[in-house]
Amino acid sequence: MLCERCKIREANIQYTEVINGVKTEHHFCAQCAKEMDFGPYAAMFDSEFPLGKLLSGLLGIGEEQEEQRKAHQVICPSCKTTYEEFIKNSRFGCPECYGVFDLLIGENIKQLQGSDTHKGKQPRYHYQEEGNSLSVEDVSGAGNEIPGGELDAEEQIRILDARLHEALAREEYEVAAQCRDKIRELREGIRKC
Amino acid sequence: MLKWFECVDRKRPGIISSRVRLVRNWNQYAFPSRLQQKESLEMLRRLELGLQNLGSLDGKHYKYYDLGELGELEKKSLQERRVFNSTIASQKTPTGLILSEEEDTAIVLNGTDHIRIQMLSPGLHLGELWTRCDQMDDYINARFPYAFDKKYGYLTSFPTNVGTGMRASAVLHLPTLSMGKKFNGLVAEMGRFGASVRGVYGEGSENYGALYEVSNQKTLGLTEKEILDLVNRVALQLLAQEKQVRRMTLEKHRLEYTDEAYKSYGVLKYARRMSAKDAMIFLSQMMSGIADGILKTREDCAVYRMMLGIQPANLQKASERPLGKEELDEARATYIRSELPELL
Repeated sequence: MLCERCKIREANIQYTEVINGVKTEHHFCAQCAKEMDFGPYAAMFDSEFPLGKLLSGLLGIGEEQEEQRKAHQVICPSCKTTYEEFIKNSRFGCPECYGVFDLLIGENIKQLQGSDTHKGKQPRYHYQEEGNSLSVEDVSGAGNEIPGGELDAEEQIRILDARLHEALAREEYEVAAQCRDKIRELREGIRKC
Repeated sequence: MLKWFECVDRKRPGIISSRVRLVRNWNQYAFPSRLQQKESLEMLRRLELGLQNLGSLDGKHYKYYDLGELGELEKKSLQERRVFNSTIASQKTPTGLILSEEEDTAIVLNGTDHIRIQMLSPGLHLGELWTRCDQMDDYINARFPYAFDKKYGYLTSFPTNVGTGMRASAVLHLPTLSMGKKFNGLVAEMGRFGASVRGVYGEGSENYGALYEVSNQKTLGLTEKEILDLVNRVALQLLAQEKQVRRMTLEKHRLEYTDEAYKSYGVLKYARRMSAKDAMIFLSQMMSGIADGILKTREDCAVYRMMLGIQPANLQKASERPLGKEELDEARATYIRSELPELL
């Protein structure tokens, strides 16, 4: 396949982008990849970057120190954990690290765990699968089925507020407005007490 | 209120205890190692507030502790009683603990992960522990949205916990089986099934007390039920093998075996100083003697409770002062004499 940007060189980098749950795949050559902005991965494309060698280097097969050094520059934009720090402590810094380092350590996790796909329990509350949206009732009514689990007004407000911010970021304006109204209603309830 | 380890499960004396542990993280904060002091304190305060009525879930009495305010000895003794592990005990960053009166339910906040739920019970009751953990997990989740990924499951600080975030384990007493030549091979065999078996007390290759803990190695790609089934199966399999070799030993060497049980009891009853190693060995022999009906006591005797009680921090806590090695050995013998049941 040819690189979709220059349409001259062979594409040897596959780039998968997920924006608002919409997944698109791109194929670039190393040179075009280098010229584009890949956020935390940019360091990997500073020069001709053979991905195969990177993985073998991680597994201790090759001695591709230069490439290793490039991989070490991958850094989690959210918590600033570097790849080097991750390797040193075998410890992630935040939930986003999994997405950032996935390409580099996916194979290692698979080796360690014998699998790379979760098939157990999913969070009962405040978790939305792709394409689904959590309603105000889902959020403020969380815990209602559990003995003594109902949220009090203060807790509902705290959790609705978090959902409100998330809805704004995802451009789910209707949900955001409903959250705002529910928070207002709960606050008035507290004032009357 | 009795602590969980003071109770005896008569059904299967060879299985000392079961444990289910879940780790979870709140999606609004970085993992503990990346939190600034201020953020840690803020998160802890919010977690403590959100979980202050935890007792309404299961009717237990819970108490909140700030680990930073507990003394080193107190922390060490909680670690010896298995409330948390050594990593959490030696942690210097702000850490919280919600502990039930019976010490069978513990939630560590901002340890290696934000939330670590642990439930313990005497005997083999992994299914029941999971049901309770699952419900407590939902209770906490209703208040604190979790870091969860469709592919990797529950996201955790260490990749060794990712997925279910679950570790299920059982502690077994295997005095005869572990002496056999085939034992190491058996342990390796269990590893191939995904279960790890390790000695609980002892240094290096030595094991004192013949207590072994079986747990799942993997946390990703298996359902919680599959993990429980695995640990359950391996625990029962090892116990069945122990029973078999015990029966053979009893048939062939009854006098020797009986003599050992009584001699151990005698040493425990009259010794004036006792090292931790010796105490574990004699208590282990008394434990088998009771399980096999050789030593008969009027009331159920929680030998495991004594095994926890003779650990250094618990002895020092009971004496309310730090003790040197000689003093510890003396305090250990005194403790055992006071706890030892009369034989019928």
